Amino acid sequence: MGGLVVALLRCTDLRAEVDPLSGAITREPRTAALSASDAAALEHALRIGSAWGARVLAISLGGPEVEGPLREALALGAEVLRVATHQSYLEELVADEQALARALVTALAGELPDLVLCADRSADRGTGALPAFVAHELGVAQAPGLVSLELASLDGGETELLAERRLDYGRRERMRVPLPAVCSVEGAGVRLRRASLPASLAASGATIPVVDAALVPSAVRVVQARPARPRPRHLPAPTGTSRERLLALTGALLSHEPPVVVGPVDAPEAADALLEFLVHHGYLSRAPSGWAVT
Amino acid sequence: MTWDGISFEDRMETVEFRVGERPHIVVDSDICRSCTTKACVTACPANLFAPTSDGGILFNYEQCFECGTCYQVCDSDGALSWTYPDGGHGVVFRSG
Amino acid sequence: MTYDVIVVGAGPAGSSAALMAARAGLSVVLLERGPYPGSKNVYGGVVYGRVLDDVLPGWWEEVPVQRWVTRRSTMVLTGTQALTVDFRSGAWGQAPYNGCTTLRSDFDGWLAGKAVEAGAQLVTSTVATGLIREAGRVVGVRTDRPDGDLRATVVIAADGVNSLLAKELGLLPKTDPKHLTLGVKEVLSLPKDVIDERFGVRGEEGVDVEILGCTRGIAGGGFVYTNRDTLSVGVVVSVDGLAKSEVRPEQLVADLKAHPAIAPWVQGAEVKEYSAHLIPEGGYDHLPQLHAPGFLLTGDAAGLCLAAGIWLEGVNFAIGSGLAAGRAAAAHVLGGAELSSYRKDLESSFVLQDHKRLRKAPALVLSDRVQQRYPQLIADLVEGLFTVTNPTAKPGAISLLRGAAKRNGVKLRHLAADGLAGGRTFR
Repeated sequence: MGGLVVALLRCTDLRAEVDPLSGAITREPRTAALSASDAAALEHALRIGSAWGARVLAISLGGPEVEGPLREALALGAEVLRVATHQSYLEELVADEQALARALVTALAGELPDLVLCADRSADRGTGALPAFVAHELGVAQAPGLVSLELASLDGGETELLAERRLDYGRRERMRVPLPAVCSVEGAGVRLRRASLPASLAASGATIPVVDAALVPSAVRVVQARPARPRPRHLPAPTGTSRERLLALTGALLSHEPPVVVGPVDAPEAADALLEFLVHHGYLSRAPSGWAVT
Repeated sequence: MTWDGISFEDRMETVEFRVGERPHIVVDSDICRSCTTKACVTACPANLFAPTSDGGILFNYEQCFECGTCYQVCDSDGALSWTYPDGGHGVVFRSG
Repeated sequence: MTYDVIVVGAGPAGSSAALMAARAGLSVVLLERGPYPGSKNVYGGVVYGRVLDDVLPGWWEEVPVQRWVTRRSTMVLTGTQALTVDFRSGAWGQAPYNGCTTLRSDFDGWLAGKAVEAGAQLVTSTVATGLIREAGRVVGVRTDRPDGDLRATVVIAADGVNSLLAKELGLLPKTDPKHLTLGVKEVLSLPKDVIDERFGVRGEEGVDVEILGCTRGIAGGGFVYTNRDTLSVGVVVSVDGLAKSEVRPEQLVADLKAHPAIAPWVQGAEVKEYSAHLIPEGGYDHLPQLHAPGFLLTGDAAGLCLAAGIWLEGVNFAIGSGLAAGRAAAAHVLGGAELSSYRKDLESSFVLQDHKRLRKAPALVLSDRVQQRYPQLIADLVEGLFTVTNPTAKPGAISLLRGAAKRNGVKLRHLAADGLAGGRTFR
């Protein structure tokens, strides 16, 4: 049937280092790899592409570090495209999925794919919203969170795309996906095939085509983000006589220490203060000597 | 024993393993039952060999450094079949 | 398609071989089983780059260095004592430098990049599972990729200490625990200024500390190397001794880190990565045959790692032997020269000359007396010399030596014999 199947891949360090004190994230470019979901997306793209006789295009946004996984996709017979951008804008794009979706769709240069495959959510800080934004940009249907995606033969040599996804309480949902569509898959059921040696050799020296990301800021911009607040914890209501219940709720006869404000202090001192607090209240039996923070 | 400030699980947690589908090291526990030294249990730097109550050995290939110590210390011919994991899988050192 | 050369393993030996062969105009494939060069490799911590001077002039401008070693300490530890011989040189801190600490994922990737620049084709995530042989000659390798057979005029095995390819040809024994040591390492993260302060260095200066007597009597030693904002701390112990001792390897590292002479250096540091690797330490007398028809063996696979007491070097020998293998392969493909020229080339270079000169060193350094008796003896002697015994008069050095030797069960004639042997070994 011909056509175009696109795999949108996120190649990133799957074990980015998070500094325990500052929260700063360090990503190693050399360990950039496809997550299990991204690998599954590429594998589905290759399977469906070959069944349809369609071109398969693997696209990834990022610096030269994404070329390793793209080279593997090239060796597997896909066309590849790297969408490049400035590092500063890249950070912004990854945080703003609508702008990211626009940049990726713009990179298709007006071509409407029959099927777009991508991971259910990106491995690093994905919200899982990208597939929906991509579907919106393309104006096509969307099937998110799939655990299986198959082509079923119909009478007359036609095929249809059947997808299955997980629902709550172990239920499954089977869907017939109309085309064109954006399907996002979980890393389940399939493993990415390995490229043959001759293809890998041919891909090893190939140049990966690069286009610049379109600078398309999204309409809604995040201007401030407040820290996440955990939900309140439900505590059982006290029992007993009304007097006991009142005492338990007000804590009137219990001795308690007023909260102490420590600081402003730097991070090591804060850590020491926290450790001391935990030891004082019996959450830690002792302060292990190896814990000194310097 | 010197307390080294970190549990063994946390220690292994510092290392990246891209676990392949195929176990690259296979232990024949029947041969291990006749082994008296079981040097692999203490020598393996990743602590992957666990003696079982019936005298055999339980082996976990997933967190293997692929160093080769186990087959070097193994006295029993044929107890260990040792290969490398499939390409791209296995341990990935970042600060080797 | 048939290539001129297949190099198995993109470590320092393999990349050097690929670099030389590609520069000679040969078609070269460099296979690496990890996702990137260096991902399977572990070493102590120092690369001596002089061997690169001719091949990559000005290498020090671009090598991914952590710190330049300007201070070398050799330590002898006992339970509570430590004796250090410490040397600093300003010359080592400027071009052309001496040694540098670097991480293998950085260094091996850099060197493999040089081979690729020269025209070699690097294929990662590919295991060479076996050799293709025809009429007694190696003519290629099998890999674990689909359609994975690859043929070449010369196969260079730089597949590391466990070299399954050399074992397949029978060049290496299947097991050899007596001539192998296990290195176990922790990379500990500390802020750069804390490392500078604790080790008395500045800027890009670094320290290399080698330690004897910290391995519970198991033949071996320990090390501490400074990286930019990490420390590499670990031990190297004989595989045979480790198996007999029933001590767990990470316990030896924990012991070392808890020693009163080491603990202040590593206090508060977080373990960033734990790793382990085997090291071939047989020396010259246990080198395998280095070539077979169509086949060359190089680097750790060839046992070319120098572990001779005060010298602990591997990467430079891997590079040296890799370059020679690349040259020999080129001479063979282009001019029909015998592959045995490889061995001759190595014999005339530092690679085998150093190994030959220090052929007795591994046995001496790993001997029971050096490992188990002498650290305590030396520490006792020095403690005696520097303990002020007033009002008793100072004891003479000879009587202190006698006393220390007697306490540690060493006969003076053994000491003299070992001294002589040491003199001969390190002459």
